Amino acid sequence: MALYEKTAAELSELLANKEISAVELAKDVFARTAAVEDKVQGYVTLTEEAALQQAEAVDKKRAAGEELSALAGIPVAIKDNICTKGTLTTCASKMLYNFKPPYNATVMDKLAAHDVVVTGKANMDEFAMGSSCENSAAHPTHNPHGLTRVPGGSSGGSAAVVAAGEAPLALGSDTGGSIRQPASFCGVVGLKPTYGAVSRYGLVAFASSLDQIGPFGRSIEDVAMLLDAITGHDPLHDSTSVKTPFEGSVRANLNADVKGMKIGLPKEYFGAGISDEVRESVLAAAETYKSLGAEVFEISLPLVEYALPVYYILSSAEASSNLARFDGVKYGYRTPNAGDDVIALYVKSRSEGFGAEVQRRIMLGTYVLSSGYYDAYYKKARAAQRKIREEFANAFEKCDVILTPVAPTTAYEIGSKTTNPLEMYAGDICTVSVNIAGLPGLVQPCGFDGNKMPIGMQLIGPRFGEQTLLGAGLAFEQASGLKNIVAAL
Amino acid sequence: MKYQPVIGLEVHAELSTKSKIYCSCSTAFGAPINTHTCPVCTGMPGALPVLNKQVVHYAAKMGLATGCTINRLCKADRKNYFYPDLPKAYQISQFDVPICENGEVFFYVDGEKKSCRLERIHFEEDAGKLLHDEIDGTVVDFNRCGVPLIEMVTKPDLHSSAEAKEFLEMIKTTLSYLDICDCKMEEGSIRCDVNVSIRPEGSEELGTRVEMKNINTFSGAVRAIDYEVARQIEVVENGGEIQQETRRWDDVKLKNTVMRTKEDAQDYRYFPDPDLIAVEIDDEWMHKIESEIPELPIARYERYLNEYGMTAMEARQISDSFAKAELLDAAAKQVKPKAAANWILSDISKYLNDKGVDLPDTKLTADKLVDLVKLIEAGTISGAAGKKVLPAMFETDETVEAIVERMGLKQVSDEGAILAIVQEVIAKNEKAVADFKAGKNVTGFLVGQCMKASKGQGNPKVINKLIAQELAKL
Amino acid sequence: MAISRKEIEHIASLARLDSTGGIFDRLADDMQDIVGMVDKLAELDLGDITDVINTERKNAFHEDVVIQEYTPDELIEPNAPDFQAGGVAVPRVVE
Repeated sequence: MALYEKTAAELSELLANKEISAVELAKDVFARTAAVEDKVQGYVTLTEEAALQQAEAVDKKRAAGEELSALAGIPVAIKDNICTKGTLTTCASKMLYNFKPPYNATVMDKLAAHDVVVTGKANMDEFAMGSSCENSAAHPTHNPHGLTRVPGGSSGGSAAVVAAGEAPLALGSDTGGSIRQPASFCGVVGLKPTYGAVSRYGLVAFASSLDQIGPFGRSIEDVAMLLDAITGHDPLHDSTSVKTPFEGSVRANLNADVKGMKIGLPKEYFGAGISDEVRESVLAAAETYKSLGAEVFEISLPLVEYALPVYYILSSAEASSNLARFDGVKYGYRTPNAGDDVIALYVKSRSEGFGAEVQRRIMLGTYVLSSGYYDAYYKKARAAQRKIREEFANAFEKCDVILTPVAPTTAYEIGSKTTNPLEMYAGDICTVSVNIAGLPGLVQPCGFDGNKMPIGMQLIGPRFGEQTLLGAGLAFEQASGLKNIVAAL
Repeated sequence: MKYQPVIGLEVHAELSTKSKIYCSCSTAFGAPINTHTCPVCTGMPGALPVLNKQVVHYAAKMGLATGCTINRLCKADRKNYFYPDLPKAYQISQFDVPICENGEVFFYVDGEKKSCRLERIHFEEDAGKLLHDEIDGTVVDFNRCGVPLIEMVTKPDLHSSAEAKEFLEMIKTTLSYLDICDCKMEEGSIRCDVNVSIRPEGSEELGTRVEMKNINTFSGAVRAIDYEVARQIEVVENGGEIQQETRRWDDVKLKNTVMRTKEDAQDYRYFPDPDLIAVEIDDEWMHKIESEIPELPIARYERYLNEYGMTAMEARQISDSFAKAELLDAAAKQVKPKAAANWILSDISKYLNDKGVDLPDTKLTADKLVDLVKLIEAGTISGAAGKKVLPAMFETDETVEAIVERMGLKQVSDEGAILAIVQEVIAKNEKAVADFKAGKNVTGFLVGQCMKASKGQGNPKVINKLIAQELAKL
Repeated sequence: MAISRKEIEHIASLARLDSTGGIFDRLADDMQDIVGMVDKLAELDLGDITDVINTERKNAFHEDVVIQEYTPDELIEPNAPDFQAGGVAVPRVVE
């Protein structure tokens, strides 16, 4: 087995035992990348030179007998909306085509403290708006399991490079499913942590109240490892960050025993619109849990019907404000066609710099906040959000975790859903509620469809339920053997 | 017809915190362009705000001092608009739940007590500064971005420019009493927008209001209001109608011009800032804030009039300055208030003015002032000597006694010692004695000679008495 | 509810987006569809539930201490489209 095919946990052990060096590992991963990246196109920017220097530094530290993190020397890909000091951070947008942040996101400082090796910046839907990675100003990313298909989005690049063996780990961000849906499409594990568990400082904001950075890997243990490295209260930089009860100790406490665990299946998530193959695969997973001693029963979450409107109102409202700073004045793209009119500078820079999907969301968000519409849309959506939170809180009185599909279908053909935005939005139905309620959501592979495309399942936990969630995930992973699936390319 | 002006104000005051409202950059005035900046206050992608605790503290303090209700739970909202001095393209302000509401400010206009209700006080961030002189276009200086402000919005309770001015002065004095604002007008620490309408005298209805911006001084506010009231009266008298609009005051040309009409009114799309969380002031914090509110200027002013027997002008002059008022009140516990006040109003104020320093930056204390007054009352030094002692009281740590000693200003009241001087002076001045015998009054002359002979240290009262006594013997 | 073209243009002007190009026609059509989708929320009866202040978490502050870590030449200049006289330059703004 080549190094690039190994999990981060395996690599960590090899590195710790000095059976391999970090430089060796980095070279192997970049060789794999050189071989497959033309097909996958998961990266926007590769940082090979810096990565090899980091790897070398790690090897020196290890040789000097320094105590190192389990992640030391492990290659990690970073979604291109996470600020990396001095390295292009474009959000896959023309608007930030040349932007090199003068500062590091908190997660980047944390990863640096763990001596990880950053492979590059992963492709995404522009400003994280989209579910297919087709809204990238750079290029679309291809699903490693079926190159004519989308990898999902918005963190499509992160999911694809992990699935393709171009990196064992990656960071993504999830506002309405942007980690979980691509994880599902690409057959990898992805976690959207509880809102506030990971600092958002340096994550280019899409919707501040919903955004959360999270890990990708090819095993539950790998995802737990990366989660441990990035969680933490960030009182100096992120008012919405919190201290979690599991701070840095999830991997050490992983427990695959699900005997007596109460797993709820919300009937509304298995209804019309969900493809038969997806439904059957997730229900089969439920059976697996039963066989492992879990108590599985049906529950009801009727408000999911309103989740899409609530999500699109809240996320677009916040986005319209968050993305107003991209005005051609301070950084990024500035139109050459403004003449000496500052209003023209704004209008042209923004219209030329943003892609169509971003402009649609800004328009919707501006509309729902504008005078005369605020109460009917924004204010009502906030109230509905509260109700949805309550609905989940009530559900967690009865069960420990909730099991659902991730998306109505498996990965679809590139270009097949680009004409109608609503069709694309409908694909978010299973994931957005988790963000609206601020909960953790774990996605992992649970099977394949007739085209050999991966099917994923979603486990939703209560706030700070990450330890339970990953334990449940591990139980299924062990029972199913669906672990470390590297696409054959 | 006679018209009554109806005036409301929106006053912005910069809070004197060390760091900015949502980041840790310095708020110091006058730094080189863009040197007080960071990713947060320049609106870099991904940067997030964290609220300065002191801002909440200061804003609540002003609320308490102006009789407001403090909303123990409040939040920050975004006000969205594009302008090059606003790097995020939104200002973090407060919208529907401001930190303070429903206050009232009292002040005197020509001896008459007036009041103006405050609708609200909220905290927000300042914008940057646009520089037009450096280059052909405009350069943006982000140093001011994120400097904390409180905005105080009044009800339309003011009816003349004089009332507006006294209201503003009272706001300024209150801010300085609370020590939450530098109150440096030349640095733009306090700015205001003015809303003006007119109505026929006796009417209770409100007329169409015009908002005026770009008012940077209190005297400018007076000029702007007087101009706008006259303009509105003229429009109405000529059969016209007042348009709801925003006008820009030009304090050089002394006129205003239309900035925005009602049609292009902005839609700021306020909504709660999702990067920030609720602010709660608990009881403990509230008590701490309450404990920091000193006796306020209006209360002191009235006390000085009624209890200390000062004139309105004197009472105003001292109550306008927290440091002077504190000095007076501390001294007044041990000596006659009037005696202490006289020193503060005259020589102490003169010294501070001449040197351009603030009282708290000097070494003068209430105890020293008390000692000075007591030494004069006891006749240990003369009033004139007191004036000579004063500079050292500001500048050194010496006791007043030590200064008097060092400068040799101690008054000689010992009758034996003075009698010798008096007798010697009379003996030396035969002409004066002759004049006295011819019925002329020579006392003044002889006192002067005695003072001279005693190097100014002779107690004039004793000298007077002994001269009369000795002359009577002739 | 349907939105008029004029309203859509007003929204575009608030958002500082160009509403003159041909691409905007497509955007305007999409807007109708998307607003139609979110209008579903109108069906939901929420009684008197509101969420004026989210109180799940309260009070995150920084102390009033100055930390000055950046200089304009590392913070602003490298990314500025037009940097002059120590700051970003824009066409002359007439106030």
